[in-house]
Amino acid sequence: MNRNRLLLVVLLPLLLTLAAGLGYAVLSLPEQPQYLQKLVMDNMAESGVSHPVTAVLLNFRAYDTLLEMMVLLLALLAVWSFDMTDPKHKTAPNQVLDTLTRLLTPLLILVTAYLLWVGAHAPGGAFQAGSVLAASAVLLSLAGWRLSNKLTALPLRIVLVAGPGVFIIISALTMLLEGQLLKYPVAQAGLYIVILETFATLSIGATLAALFLGVRPGKTDKDKGGKHK
Amino acid sequence: MAIENALMTFPMAFPLVSLFAVTLILLPLVGVICCFLMPRISRTLGLFTSFANVISVAGLGWQILEHDSYRHAVGGWGAPLGIELYADGLSLLMLATTAIVGLAISVYSTAYFKPAAGVRFWPIWLCLLTALNTLFLSEDIFNLYVTLELLSLSAVALTALTGSKEALSGAMRYLLASLLASLSYLLGVVLLYHSFGSVDISILTQQMQAPSATLATATPAVWAALGLMGAGLMLKTAIFPLHFWLPPAHGSAPAPVSALLSALVIKASFYILLRLWFTLFEPLVDSQAINSLLGLLGCTAILWGSVQAIRQTRLKLLIAYSTVAQIGYLFLIFPLAPNMGSLAWNGVAYLIISHALAKSAMFLCAGNLLRFGGHDRIADLDRVVQRLPLTAAAFALAGVSIMGIPPSGGFIGKWLLLEASMNQGRWDLVAVIVIGGLLAAVYIFKVIGYTFIPAKVTHEAHAVSARMQWSALLLAIGAVLLGFLSLPVLSLLNISDATITSGVGL
Repeated sequence: MNRNRLLLVVLLPLLLTLAAGLGYAVLSLPEQPQYLQKLVMDNMAESGVSHPVTAVLLNFRAYDTLLEMMVLLLALLAVWSFDMTDPKHKTAPNQVLDTLTRLLTPLLILVTAYLLWVGAHAPGGAFQAGSVLAASAVLLSLAGWRLSNKLTALPLRIVLVAGPGVFIIISALTMLLEGQLLKYPVAQAGLYIVILETFATLSIGATLAALFLGVRPGKTDKDKGGKHK
Repeated sequence: MAIENALMTFPMAFPLVSLFAVTLILLPLVGVICCFLMPRISRTLGLFTSFANVISVAGLGWQILEHDSYRHAVGGWGAPLGIELYADGLSLLMLATTAIVGLAISVYSTAYFKPAAGVRFWPIWLCLLTALNTLFLSEDIFNLYVTLELLSLSAVALTALTGSKEALSGAMRYLLASLLASLSYLLGVVLLYHSFGSVDISILTQQMQAPSATLATATPAVWAALGLMGAGLMLKTAIFPLHFWLPPAHGSAPAPVSALLSALVIKASFYILLRLWFTLFEPLVDSQAINSLLGLLGCTAILWGSVQAIRQTRLKLLIAYSTVAQIGYLFLIFPLAPNMGSLAWNGVAYLIISHALAKSAMFLCAGNLLRFGGHDRIADLDRVVQRLPLTAAAFALAGVSIMGIPPSGGFIGKWLLLEASMNQGRWDLVAVIVIGGLLAAVYIFKVIGYTFIPAKVTHEAHAVSARMQWSALLLAIGAVLLGFLSLPVLSLLNISDATITSGVGL
């Protein structure tokens, strides 16, 4: 108790001062220089897409996105390395949940495709589409759907690495063709981005769903699974 | 830029140096994916990747020696729109250390991990290798944040690999400290980006050093960025008093993982701190006050860490506290560099490399002893000198470098720091360096002493594979041999863009 009070007396003013200092720093921020935004806009024509966020994520700073895809895969590797067992009890899916899932899943897949496609010229893209896909997989697994054992081994793993894998292949390809990492030929930039985003969406969806389930597939004979279809 | 422009007109042709630099990034990534898809051969894949990594670094080194420091505009955009890669002498030294220590630890791990644990170890270790390679090649503070994220997450996952209660609580503490540090760093990046409209280190450096009418440099936001990024990186580097997470994490991880964490992971955040401090923050930290404070933390770390190491009864915790102390030496660069530029830089660079070799050797030795006796209690080492001579020799040789006895790499590093302190009349630093060396001798000889005497309770001995013993011994020999290589190693350090390190008089 005494120690806690001491911490409170010492730490609280310290934290408050820190917060006040940071607040002051943020409030005193000068007007942001606009030239980088202008630079993005000036180069939009060569980026292959017409939405600036997508252009930054998948063209101007695609290298960051490649590494972020690896972070996502790494998170899954870390979770799987804990070797958890499925704590869920098998229960028969509730009638309402089951019907709702059957109705919602096709719709969610449609939304996924729309978000993926719309990312080229409006807010959207692989991460948003992937999250929706993952949501549908989570919903399916909550309703008791499981991926068949045949699909949990290599096929699931291939879907999980498709995004980063295709990203790496395109990195190597652009290096060989253009002499610079991830430098797309201007005429095909749009195509490259669509390919990257499509595979990224699949992998992000599968990875997020697998992270939600937490258990490595194939660990126990029939638990786990739950992915699209 | 002229060369790169010329290259753009000739597709299929690019300089060799780009090939090696890009291989360093893509190779471990491909390794991760292959290990994930083919877990059965992950051990072979991991070993092959580590080996190919050494070759790529050698190639990059050869090219940098021929053509000077290297830049690569990812995506062909160039800063500030795109991300730039940059490699100079310092990054090359870090890459080389990573590759060599990484290869030795890979060889060790092929024997250390049973197949079931190995399947989990290899892909995460290759993620860690990716993170280190990309970090040392980056010139972009946001890209550095992404590499830090990859680095911390893989380090935490590896710490938790055994799944024991200690390892999990150590890893959890490590995760929370590391996340806090990452977020603090990221907030600093945001403030800098908002102030200057760029995240490229060279552009930020130029703007900081030549303030224009529209962009003020010493604003509260920039100071806040300095504080946030500095504190975040110091927390990740575990400098006293921010070292609280290090002993439980490094002490409870599997031996090869402890070696990776102590030898390489903490050096990576220190490398970023070093880069930022002496480039874009240089105009701000010219005042002696901040640098003296960092030097003071370094001195406290040396003394506190060494005393704690002496008090430990478990070998791995002793080695972990020794790391806390050795990090202290690295922070002596901050008070020394502004006046004694190259001496202090050389000394600290030398200490980084020799500590990486010696400390990884020590942790691998601890792993051998744990395997051999089933415990790591120092008092019960029980005549290891006779029963496990290679490991005992490796520990002693690594100890020589940690203590800083000639002719080891640790000696050269400490000697250069001593010289810099003496030239500057900083007798307080001289005293701390000398006392730190004596304290290190106390805790090293404490361990070596117990390896000679029989224990009261004997334990059943288990066989330790030759691969595990030799990889530890070779790393330790490397740490000692480094003492003879000072000229070539230090000449590497001089390769850099004049603009980048002009502030420290390299």
